[in-house]
Amino acid sequence: MTLVSSRPSIGSPRPWSFPAFERRTIAGGRVISCHLPGRALGVTSLVIDAGASSESIGREGVAELVARALSEGTSTLDAYGFAVAGERLGATWRASTDWDSLRCGFEVPVAEMAAATQLLADAVKDAAFDDDTLGRVREERIDEISIELSQPAARAGEAFAAEVFADVSRYKLSDGGDIASLEAISHDDIRSFRAERLGRSAATLVLVGDLEAVDVDALGHAVFDGWDDTDGATPTPDATPRRRGRRVVVVDRPGSVQSILLLGHDGPPRKIDDYVAMTTMSMVLGGMFSSRLNMKIREEKGYAYGAHCGFDTRKYGGVFVARTSVQSDVTIPALADTVAEIERMHAGGVEPDELEQARAYRAGVFPINFAGVMAVASGLGDLVVNDFADDHFDQLRARVLDVRKDELDASAHERLRPDDLVTVVVGDASGFVEELRDTGLGPVEVVPDEG
Amino acid sequence: MATAISYPHTEHRLANGLRVVISEDRLAPVVAVNLWYAVGSRHEVQGRTGFAHLFEHLMFQGSANVKRGEHFSTVNAAGGTLNGTTWCDRTNYYETVPAHHLATALWLEADRMGGLLEALDQANLDNQRDVVKNEKRQTRDNQPYGSWLDHLHELCYPPGHPYHHTTIGSMEDLDAASLEDARAFYETWYAPDNAVLSIVGDVDTSEAIMLVERYFGGIPAKGRFPTPPSTEIAPRLGGQVRRTVPDRVPVPRIFVGYRTAPFGTSEFDAMQIATTVLGGGRGSRLYKALVLDRQLLQPSDSAIVDSWPFIGGASLTLADLPAREGVDIDVLEAAYHHEVARLAEGATDDEVERAKALITSQWLHHLSGVEGRADTFSQYATLLGDPELMNRALPAWLSVTARDVAAVAGEVMSEDNRAVVTFTPDLPDEQEAAA
Repeated sequence: MTLVSSRPSIGSPRPWSFPAFERRTIAGGRVISCHLPGRALGVTSLVIDAGASSESIGREGVAELVARALSEGTSTLDAYGFAVAGERLGATWRASTDWDSLRCGFEVPVAEMAAATQLLADAVKDAAFDDDTLGRVREERIDEISIELSQPAARAGEAFAAEVFADVSRYKLSDGGDIASLEAISHDDIRSFRAERLGRSAATLVLVGDLEAVDVDALGHAVFDGWDDTDGATPTPDATPRRRGRRVVVVDRPGSVQSILLLGHDGPPRKIDDYVAMTTMSMVLGGMFSSRLNMKIREEKGYAYGAHCGFDTRKYGGVFVARTSVQSDVTIPALADTVAEIERMHAGGVEPDELEQARAYRAGVFPINFAGVMAVASGLGDLVVNDFADDHFDQLRARVLDVRKDELDASAHERLRPDDLVTVVVGDASGFVEELRDTGLGPVEVVPDEG
Repeated sequence: MATAISYPHTEHRLANGLRVVISEDRLAPVVAVNLWYAVGSRHEVQGRTGFAHLFEHLMFQGSANVKRGEHFSTVNAAGGTLNGTTWCDRTNYYETVPAHHLATALWLEADRMGGLLEALDQANLDNQRDVVKNEKRQTRDNQPYGSWLDHLHELCYPPGHPYHHTTIGSMEDLDAASLEDARAFYETWYAPDNAVLSIVGDVDTSEAIMLVERYFGGIPAKGRFPTPPSTEIAPRLGGQVRRTVPDRVPVPRIFVGYRTAPFGTSEFDAMQIATTVLGGGRGSRLYKALVLDRQLLQPSDSAIVDSWPFIGGASLTLADLPAREGVDIDVLEAAYHHEVARLAEGATDDEVERAKALITSQWLHHLSGVEGRADTFSQYATLLGDPELMNRALPAWLSVTARDVAAVAGEVMSEDNRAVVTFTPDLPDEQEAAA
């Protein structure tokens, strides 16, 4: 025999916990520093309470414009000069918004962290926001959305959000807004959002890497000295769903060789008692390779390259969504299989071995997920955004290790709502739309694809 | 900035020819296993394009002691992540696991290296053929601009050259793939003496070697491999080749390809610096001229120009130029070629220093995780024959001068060495012409 037929025995796990970090207040601003010995590349970044969910209706996408305009020049450097100044340090700038925060900063060799942090400070306090720049940034963003929406998966996401959430909800559009909302945003809207939301009291400086030779206090001062506080509370979004009950939206793209399928409904926010039960349950349903949806749609039927689902939990609301992209001629059976799996989970919950598989994966993968400086910085940002305790990730992992089957089953029953499924199909409607009306997925609306 | 970056490692060779690279890194309690086989889409035979990649999928369908689906579920249950990828010159398989699961990862890889045929059957092949066809539909056929890479390969490499087709292959050839093809492909190319196994992370080198011996040592060497299809090719295109692709796209977009010397040559190294001066980062020439000053080009976080490392005759340098809304595509193309020509006239030391700083930190980033480092050790060992060459890559880039940049830009990115593919919104038919 040339192969060893018996499975290896497994050694004992080495201890792991989320890296230790320090919180300080420097120059009136919050600073989190995480010293990871041996990490020659570090992160210096700001997490700011200026996410898309705080935008007003009709001005969606303004936060992302602010994030982008930060690196487009200051009173002393133009856009090109700012870019070169960072890149000469070997620093890579990233700025973006999600629903609940605006994050910006550099990945940079730790030897250059002070210089990069000074550039970051200049960006947030001194970015020019002149008319020429804001006009260009807005037009680039509009062109980018039109390119994005030519991709059927992005078009499906847009249609899904619009059908799930009511017109009064910020969540009815993507976190980056749409072309109409961007066209409505004036330069003063961009400046106002920055003035109202970006400031010392809304920001936390996050420093990660080998900080042995880094003067954290000095970096805190560089960022927070002379930065005004924001005034007042951040507005919270309305998360009202559009309506209850099943319904279908078809975005017709004649000639499509696949149909994009999105099925789901509105869901709970991040801070709920059954968060671990709910998300472990959704891993069993569609959050890992061996999940029910992927096994059925890909490994049993061969309908698609993959099938997934999950809860997107935001600070003030969220969605559950299952998604796949199937060859056009199996659109109807793939929809039926997907709905059947959601219904089966809702009604019957998980099997014990499925829970053990998901638990083992989820608990075991923490050290891999948090091995890099970017991931640690991102995790620290999540603590800030959600006001989590310092031991949050260790507690989360411990909770994953002791969550029970009855908790998952109860969560499946409550959080999956098969009777409220919104189904979006982006594909060639002529091949399936008649049959679709008889599937029990609710009234069908067909819209042309404008992309 | 620090330039003395070197990753220690040891190299071993089993009696069956398996090359093993081990690098200890105790920063986190995890280990990466990365196994490269020296077989990719360039080893495919006529009428079987896409086969190397389809075969990669079959490697996840079970083996002698591993049931269908168990490869994924076993690694996931260990708290690990895994996947495989196929490209022109190679196929790789990898797992990152908590360090105490190293033996499991090695056992799984050994079982399919030595025992795949015991699990291979028609049902698995048919299922994964459908999956791969849907992968092609999802990533190419149902994507705006999705066929761009196929066009560049077709124009930059002549019919019959192994790089003329891309890794995903054609639907017809995928349909034609048989179980017999799979058996033959496996028996021809999948063997310890055609592979490099890299292990990077929280391991003890001698313990790791012992485990590798235990699980891989009994797999027999193949000893001989067929001569792959010839990759001989002229170093340059010898003319400009153009293709217009009318497609359902929102804005025109130009892709430019150039034949470039193979991976591991000084020309290829110099091109890494030249493309970064030209189109890497927001401080690059193209970003300044085309995005900021003239607003012709849609910005993105990816490099505008890049060189891809192939070893079969010629690498591919490519530029990706999406137009801003309303921009005349000819104006964009002319402006791009103008900047390329200007680089051939000279680069400044400042520009080259910026490029080097960026490349240094990108390299650090790429190698900062155990996965990236294991993959890169395997890459250098498989493609260039020596994992230590990974540690010499950065010094090679840092030795490139401003004069080298101008010279290589003029040599490689010239009019008689370029293929231009232009996507236009909804034009009637495809035109091809050699100019």
